[in-house]
This record gives sequence, C-alpha cells and structure tokens, in this order.
Amino acid sequence: MTTTMTAPAEARDLSASEAARAISTGHLTAEALARSCLDRVASRDRHVEAWAHIDPDQVIADARAADRAGPKGPLYGVPVAFKDIIDARGAPTGFNSPIYPDYHPRSDSAVSALVRLGGGIVMGKVATTEFANMHPGPCRNPLDLERTPGGSSSGSAAAVADRQVPLALGTQTSGSMLRPAAYCGIVGYKPSFGEISRVGVKQQSGSFDTLGLCARTLPDIALLRAVLTRTPHAPLQPADHPPRVRLCRIPEWMDAEEQGRVRVERAANVLADAGCDVDELALPADLFAEWFDVHRRIANFESARNFAFETDQHRDKLSATIYEGRILDGQRTTLDAYVAACRQAEAMRIWLEGAMAEVDCLLTLAAPGEAPLGMATGRPTFNSLWTLLYVPCLSLPYGKGAAGMPLSVQLVGHRFADEALLSAAATVQWILDTEDPS
Amino acid sequence: MTDAPERLSALEARTAIDAGRLSATDLLEACLERATSRHKTVRAFVHIDAEGARRAARRLDAGPAGGLLHGLPFCVKDIVDSHDQPTAYGALGGEANVPPWDGAAIALSRRAGAVLLGKTTTTELVYPRLKTTRNPLRPTHTPGGSSSGSAAAVADCQVPFGIGAQTSGSLLRPAAFCGITALKPTFQHIGNAGVRTNTEAFDTLGPMARTVADLALLRAALMGIPYAPVAPESVVRPRIAICRTPYWDRAEPATVAAMARAHDAFAVAGARLVDFELPDEFARLEHAHARISNFESARNYAHEEVRAPDAFSADFMTKRMGPGLAVTMAQFREAMRLVMGCRRWLDRAFVEEGIDAILTPSAAGEAPAGLTNTGTFIFNLIWSDVHTPAVTVPAGEGEGGLPVGVQLVGRMHEDARLLDLAAWAERRLAAQ
Repeated sequence: MTTTMTAPAEARDLSASEAARAISTGHLTAEALARSCLDRVASRDRHVEAWAHIDPDQVIADARAADRAGPKGPLYGVPVAFKDIIDARGAPTGFNSPIYPDYHPRSDSAVSALVRLGGGIVMGKVATTEFANMHPGPCRNPLDLERTPGGSSSGSAAAVADRQVPLALGTQTSGSMLRPAAYCGIVGYKPSFGEISRVGVKQQSGSFDTLGLCARTLPDIALLRAVLTRTPHAPLQPADHPPRVRLCRIPEWMDAEEQGRVRVERAANVLADAGCDVDELALPADLFAEWFDVHRRIANFESARNFAFETDQHRDKLSATIYEGRILDGQRTTLDAYVAACRQAEAMRIWLEGAMAEVDCLLTLAAPGEAPLGMATGRPTFNSLWTLLYVPCLSLPYGKGAAGMPLSVQLVGHRFADEALLSAAATVQWILDTEDPS
Repeated sequence: MTDAPERLSALEARTAIDAGRLSATDLLEACLERATSRHKTVRAFVHIDAEGARRAARRLDAGPAGGLLHGLPFCVKDIVDSHDQPTAYGALGGEANVPPWDGAAIALSRRAGAVLLGKTTTTELVYPRLKTTRNPLRPTHTPGGSSSGSAAAVADCQVPFGIGAQTSGSLLRPAAFCGITALKPTFQHIGNAGVRTNTEAFDTLGPMARTVADLALLRAALMGIPYAPVAPESVVRPRIAICRTPYWDRAEPATVAAMARAHDAFAVAGARLVDFELPDEFARLEHAHARISNFESARNYAHEEVRAPDAFSADFMTKRMGPGLAVTMAQFREAMRLVMGCRRWLDRAFVEEGIDAILTPSAAGEAPAGLTNTGTFIFNLIWSDVHTPAVTVPAGEGEGGLPVGVQLVGRMHEDARLLDLAAWAERRLAAQ
C-alpha cells in the first residue's frame, strides 16, 4: 500500500507515523527530528513564509523534554503546526489581523492539548488568511513561490508540503483545508462535522467551522485523527472490498479547469478498470442548484454576529474583503433567508444520506485545477458543499497539470463513518498510484 | 421620575428612557444599589464593574436613545468572554484566559445600548463545590443551575435582563425555580463566539427576563434582527400538544398541578389541547444526552485535565471526564444519530399535526431545599437535544410556596411565533 521504505536523507522527510515509530524504538530522537524540521524552516521561511509564530528554542526544549520523559502516546516526539486561529499555550494567536497583536492565550485549545497528551510537540503557528476568511497572508506555495498555496489554511498546507513539519491543523468553514492541501500536493482531510472539539478556535460560523488536518500520507491523517478524537489508534487498513465509488459532478463542474476535470474522470476510469464499482451520482437540481447561496447565507449570517465585537470596536482594522464580503453580507441576510437556507441544507443532507446508502465514497474535484498565480487564495466552489453537508472529505494528490503544479481528487464519505472513508481512500490511492506512480 | 426603576421590565424601562422619564444613569444606580444591598443574601454576581457601568451609562445619556436596549443594565453568566471584566468560566483559580474581546452576545447587547453590570455565577464546573447563589424568593433554597446567578439577579430585580445558557437544563430550569421567564432560542440562532464550550452539540445562550414581551426585545438585539413586539392577540385557538415526556414519573406534585392549571387556563381561552406521545426513541435521549456530553467533555476539557485539574471538582472529573473517556466513538455516533432522528421526527410532527406549541414541564417541581442540589434537568434535556426553541412561563406556586413554570416548545426556527404564544400563555396563567 505504501511506497518502499528507503531511509530518507533527513529526519524531516519521514512521515509522522515513521518518525513516531523511529522515536519510540530509539532509532531517532525527538530533538533530532525537531532540529531537522527547524533547519528546513530556517532555510525556507523567507521564501514560503508559512509561519506566523515559531520559537525554535522552545521547540527544542520541548523535544528534549519528550526524549527525557520517554515514550508517550502514538504521536511521540512528532512536531505539529497549528493554523493561527487555533490557540496553543505559549504562543500568541494572531488571526492574521492587526486587531489582536498581543493575545497570548494561557490555555491550550482542545486540539493542542490533545496533541500534547498524545506525545506530540507544538511546533508553532502557521499562516492563515485574516480570521480565516479570504484576505490573504504572505504565505506562498512552496512548489512555486509565484503561486498561492490556497487558503485559508495556507501555512498548514505549505509547511507540510515543504517538509518543514510533518503534520498541521487547519480549519474549514468553506474550503479552507482541502483546497490548500490540493494546491500544495498533500493530503487534506475535513472530518465529519461535530467529532473534533473546537474549543480554543475562534468561531466564525457555528454551523460550519470544522477542524482540518493535513499530512503527506494517509496513515499520518489516521494517526493524527486518532489523537484528536482521543480514540485508539489502529494502523490504516485498506477497505475489505473494492470501494463503490460515485463520480459526482457538482453544478459548477464546468467552472473548473479542463485539466482538473479530466484528471478526476481519468481516476474514475482507472478505478473502474481495477474492478471498483464506479458510476455517477447526479445531484438533483431542485435541491442542489442553489447550494452555494445556501452555504453563503448561513455562513455569513452567523459570521456577522460572531464578529460583532471586531465590527463595532475595530472596524478600521478589518479588511474590506471581510467587512464587505462577509460581515455586511451577513448583516443584510434576513432571518427568513437564513432559516430557509438552514432548512434547505438539512433537506440536502437527508437526500445525500439516502443517495449514498449503497456507496462507499463520492469522487469529485478538490479544487478547480492547479494553484493559480498570485496570492488570491482561490475559490471554495468545490469544497463548500461538503462542508455544508457535514460529511467527511479528503483531497488526494493525483498527477500534475500543464504548469507542473499538483492536481488532485476529492473523496467524500458518510457522516460519522470517517474510518471507512480513510480505508476506501487508502485503496483508491493504491490503485491510482499503481497505475501511475508519478 | 419613576419610583423603584429597578422593578421595571426591560420594555418598560426602555420606553421610559425613550420618553425622557428615566435616565440610563438613574436606572443603573437603582440596579447597582439593589445588587449591592442584596449581594449577601443572594450572591448572584461573581464580579460587578460599577465604575465601568457608570461610564457606559453616562455615555449613553449623553447621546440619543437609539438602540433596542439603550440604557438597560444586564448581567451575563460568567462563561461569556468580556474584554473589560474578568471571565472565570466557573472554574477556580487556574490559568484563566483573559481574552481581548467580548463574546458575540455581550457585543450585540452593548451594540444595542445595554450596560454590562457584571458576570454571574455558573455552577457547571464546580458542581457541587462552591454553589453559593441563593433563590431570592427563599434563600434556603437553590435558584437552580447552572445559570444560577442570572436567574437570581433577574428575579430579584437587580437587573432587568440577564443572559444564561443551556446544555441540558441550565437556562429554563433556574428561570422556572425563580419565577421568571427565559427563552432557549433555536440552536445557532445566537452566535457562540466567545462562549466557553460545554457541549458543542447542545450549547445555546438565551435571554432571561421578567416578562415574555421582554424576551422578544432581547432576542432581536442578541440576533441582530429587526424587533417586532410580541403579538399575543394574534394567537387564536392555538393547537397545543401536551407532552408529559417519557420521564413523567419524575414529576413532583407541584409540576403535575402546574401542568393541570395550564391545561385548564389554555382550554378556557379556546386552545385546542391534544395529548402528544413521543415515540420510544425519545426515552433513550436521557442516556444519549449523557453520552454525548461526556464524550465531548473528555475532549473539550483536555487542557484543564492536564494543566489545571484542581480547577474542577472531583465530581466533575468522576461524573463527566471519566465516563467521557469510556464512551467509544461508536457509542457517541449512535447517540448523535438518535438525537438527529428525534430532531427530524419532531420537526415533521409539528408540521403534519399542525402543532402550534408543545406544553411540557419546565422542571420536576419547585426549587429543592439546600444549595448543592440544583435540581434535575430531566424535563429540559429533550428540548436541548432537538434544538427547538423553548420558553418557560411562570405558572403559579407549588405547595411549598415556591414558583413553578410550564415550558412551551416551538418548531425549530419559529421562535417569534413561539414568543407570541408564550405571551398569550403568560396572560392566561396570570389571570388564573
């Protein structure tokens, strides 16, 4: 299922699973791993600018303490980065906003506490867009510094893709974890809504905010997920049957780049040729045609209220992007429009549950195509629907586009059946990699 | 000038301020005086910022009376962040965060011109340690919890309104015990930004006041939506479904009598009352609710578990965290699916059976004696789980002479209609 285990040149090139195993068995120290990652950060940060806050001395001190204390948890000795809207004790949370320059939470968020409980090390805070909205930060795509890494979990994806850290947490309210993961060529995962604690994450939209995970391998996603859900970690197993896959072209399908669409369609054919039950799932227009607007109404109505303090006390320090695009739009959204959207969203969820009853996963686009040039973070057109529907989703890198940048596919599973999605994805990835190891 | 302005309802005070008969400063001073003189008996507040409140009142008096809540002092359960007053989340000492923002509910109240007097007691985390708030109607009895201080302060006329929160029964039950009214809005209608999470699946903030008409005013401000007064006169022959719940055997005589009184009062006023049976799934909600809350606790409080275990009572650790670690993901999901199924069933039932509101108990009975037992939330948890709006309305007294309420539950998202009906009910019950 995985690629051959040749010893990598640097500890930082290990996956999190490999690193944790090596540290637990004494073949590697947490300090050596930390130093390897920090060396990479030092040489690359001025190009990629993935970090909002990092304290190398603290990281090394934590790594040394981990080495002294001995094995603890499945993430033993592994550094993890946190999107800078997630609190971590000992670091500021900046939100990429000038409003809170000195906010130093005294408490860990639930996820940073759970990472520590699982033996992991908090490596630092990675770049976000302003309050996880659209206004970009300085972070660049490590594969091509002229391009966006995507957003809003920009630094999370960039730092992992660039081997500066093996694991990172982001969030997704629209498309903010899977799209940057896709643009940077790594694995992104948005869990089922409601399974991972949001304590210590600044709330935008209570109905949608979801923690996101990114890593370079699927087993690493499973590992981090176990730690964050505080459930026993079992190594990722492929599914016990070839996945039943449904290609899902959402209404905006033709808005994607042709090369992106072709890649997903090719994946469908490869899976079918390998013996998977592959078919199409069409979303009924009467329910789904306006899904983007449904998502926008709910997200913005709620965000406008949740940002009341910032709006009233720090209006001058909010970007036009967030003030006009999110807050004003939310203030203009009537309660009736919000309620209608909530009901429509629930109807969509019920429909999808029924439609996926005999299906393991949907196959669709994770992003419109390659990461675009420039710093605008791209459109969440291919992500927000799944956030709205509360279902777990993964983006997997799959090939390259005309500009040499990664392309990807997205797999979508059943709510509350994330392990099954990860297993199906492991099988899908194996099939796709075997057919085209590039 | 108004005598005893602290006794005015929020609407009455707001109208008086608008008409120039009352200033924000005079109202604040009356409330401050009341709160301070009553503190030893009631102990509703963990923190009062008199000078900050005075500055705010002076600023409001210097300008035109614009916002919905212009000049109204209020209190907030101490789980909501305030940038200028401490927030302890009900824990003891420990490494409290001092966030630089107001939670959305405080920010929106202030946007509407309300004056934050102080933060009130919450019993969630220190159960049963340090429950010191007393029922203002009988200080040897609990006011209920966990929104103890807000209920007590409002009932005692220390402030015209307060903000509380409910995960299980923590908003409506104390309101009922203290003889006031409260609204648990539809889940997510009021933003939870800046609120200490208890259980993400259920946590809902809500206003507490002395009249249902006030709840409509407060709801509009807290949601940032246009205000329309309650319209009880628009309620004609409502179809009211009487729901005793699968837990009716735990209803005490005071609750049984209150439900009978409500039945009669509503019937006389022309309501069409029908018995409403919940399917068996709802009986499993008690267990599912505990599973979900405990599962979440073991994750939501991961930081405190490691860094500040002394901040919480031994009870909290043994009754929430410990069991939370024992709940498997499969059990959590099963519980979530059960809750979602109940939610969907109920929404369909409202529509298919043409129900205007469900009538159900607010609490098991009167406020229990003593301070450490805040009462059972058995009659509240269903409505927390299914996310529907719910209001408690005073319904007389029990044999012990303490208040009892009845609860009215509406269809999800139809909070305005529920408030109209609750105002109608309030009148009918007061006329008895």
